[in-house]
Amino acid sequence: MHIPDGYLSPQTCAVMYGAAAPFWMTAARRVRTIVKTRFVPLLGLGAAYCFLVMMFNVPIPDGTTAHALGGVLVAVLLGPWAAVMAVTVALAIQALFFGDGGVLVFGANCFNMAVVMPFVGYGTYRLLARHQALTSRRRALAAGIGAYVGINAAALCAAIEFGLQPELFYKTSAAGAHVPLYSPFHLSQSIPAMLGAHLLVAGVVELALTAGVIAYLQRANVPLLRINHPAVPEADAQLTPVEPSPRVCGLLLGLAAMLALVPLGLVATGGAFGENTPAQLDLRKYGLHAVPAGLEHYSDFWSHSLLPGYDFKQGSHPSIGYYTSALVGTLLILAVGFGTFRFVARVRQRRTVQIPARR
Amino acid sequence: MTADHVTAAAGADTAIPHLAPDWLVRTEVGLCPCGCIGRRRKGTAVAKTLQGGADLVRHAVFSDDAASRAGLLQRIDARVKVVSLLGLLVVAAFVRTLPVLAGMYVAAVLVAMASGLSVRFFLARVWLFVPVFTGIVVLPATLNLVTPGRIVVPLGTWFGGQVGLTSEGLESAGLIVMRVALSISLVVLLTATTPWSRILAALRSLFLPATVVLVLSMAYRYLFHLLTSVTDMYTARRARTVGADSEVRSSRRFVAASAGALFGKSHALSEEVYLAMVARGYRGDARLMQPARLRITDVLWCVACLAVALLVVWSDGVVG
Repeated sequence: MHIPDGYLSPQTCAVMYGAAAPFWMTAARRVRTIVKTRFVPLLGLGAAYCFLVMMFNVPIPDGTTAHALGGVLVAVLLGPWAAVMAVTVALAIQALFFGDGGVLVFGANCFNMAVVMPFVGYGTYRLLARHQALTSRRRALAAGIGAYVGINAAALCAAIEFGLQPELFYKTSAAGAHVPLYSPFHLSQSIPAMLGAHLLVAGVVELALTAGVIAYLQRANVPLLRINHPAVPEADAQLTPVEPSPRVCGLLLGLAAMLALVPLGLVATGGAFGENTPAQLDLRKYGLHAVPAGLEHYSDFWSHSLLPGYDFKQGSHPSIGYYTSALVGTLLILAVGFGTFRFVARVRQRRTVQIPARR
Repeated sequence: MTADHVTAAAGADTAIPHLAPDWLVRTEVGLCPCGCIGRRRKGTAVAKTLQGGADLVRHAVFSDDAASRAGLLQRIDARVKVVSLLGLLVVAAFVRTLPVLAGMYVAAVLVAMASGLSVRFFLARVWLFVPVFTGIVVLPATLNLVTPGRIVVPLGTWFGGQVGLTSEGLESAGLIVMRVALSISLVVLLTATTPWSRILAALRSLFLPATVVLVLSMAYRYLFHLLTSVTDMYTARRARTVGADSEVRSSRRFVAASAGALFGKSHALSEEVYLAMVARGYRGDARLMQPARLRITDVLWCVACLAVALLVVWSDGVVG
């Protein structure tokens, strides 16, 4: 995923330097406040470790080997901010000394592999490893899955950076067609190509190495895991039982964000497969000669809905109707979900009360 | 130009006596620690990691050799080199025509020859990489499926539509291959003729904070120290293995375990290094060597680079 110089336009490179810079500065400040004068040796050795992890060949079943990146591994071991610095320094040595990854695109490479990958991967890991003991198997697996998600997020970022190039930077040939100046693949081609390779091979390699290293440290050297997990109990027996509390706040925030995005639906035109008006079905596209009888019959079979076609009446106030439909739908789903949740909770409560009564 | 410069330039494409032994600086190019460049060979993970480690050391020795040779670029101050080659890199990124990029590449090869770099090394470094990575990536882009335009090489029909190479696609592919080759060459020109410590000092005096430079130099220094640990672990594993070590699961376990053990070692080492630094009076502030003053050759080189940049921008406007 090390992008060489020449694939991205200088304008993109400048933007990516700008995107990575605040992370570098925050990372340097945060790491320094925690480790103080240990800053230089800790990060120096961390970066050297990071570099060497990228060199390890991990065997894959086809008889060949592949490399891991180790960004999420370092984030789990030293914390995501230290990982930002360590991976950046490792990438700098690779770019300057070994010519692996470009110099102008260094900002983009760092944004993908030193910012997106550790943070997305570490976030996933934290989410999956919550309320788990330090030596639990689930924690090692969570680190692996975090690495898998992290490297794919980084690959997606790289694919988007590639895919934007032919849309934005081209010159016009004598025939009037566009000649891409940098990476020639469009988003529809670059995203499947990058994600395909990373979902199938590189992500699995990353998962295997990260989970393997954490599992090894759980067996052989737990104090090293303590560096970034000072307060996590070591064995399952020491865990304090936690009542699962629904994170209502986060849930509502997410819902609000999705509600704010509702107008996106208004931009889309037409219907999928002629769902509302069979007459609009593009017959030739599907090799048909007439609208199928079932579709014709059942498309207006039920017309007694409250908000037909996500609107009050056909076309009276399209945007207000659309918003109202979204709101009503959300509230209905919330009500059903909440009701189910309460019902299940009540049943479970009754069971736990009944068991000691039988004894 | 002094007499030894002339011999260095003249003998650039023939064998140059290396300071390092020959087996260490074989012409095979081992570039990539991440696997995206270079050839994929079958072989066990242990053998390949050992090979990778050897490549790393060879690369370091080789560039030290090249940087200590007498030549044009070796005489230029590192700060000037960093700024000028970075500037040319930016100019190269903005060029929109193929002939101008090719001209810049020829100029880069000439400068490499004048700096006593082996032409074979210089070309191999770029053109072993370009076909493997860029060539394969860019080849599909010449089809009209990716880059629509006037079809110059028809290849037949597919799903009722005509398929072929378009002139726009070919030009675009040429642009990207040439630009990648030129960019790599410019970076190689800097890194192969400048010792790592000088590059760091230059970066320090230009824009990087002193602590970051200290972290970079320490990472580079201990990289080789930790590499010895890796090589030891892998050599020991190889010595214990009878026959082909083809079991994927056990060798993957070994790779994970060795990476875990390496983390333990590197963390312990960082603690020891820190204590040693404190014992020598380290209090958290970084001090580095003061860079030397600029000389007349540096100024001349700057003027030459500026002239090339202006020429490139002008000719790009004329050709395009």
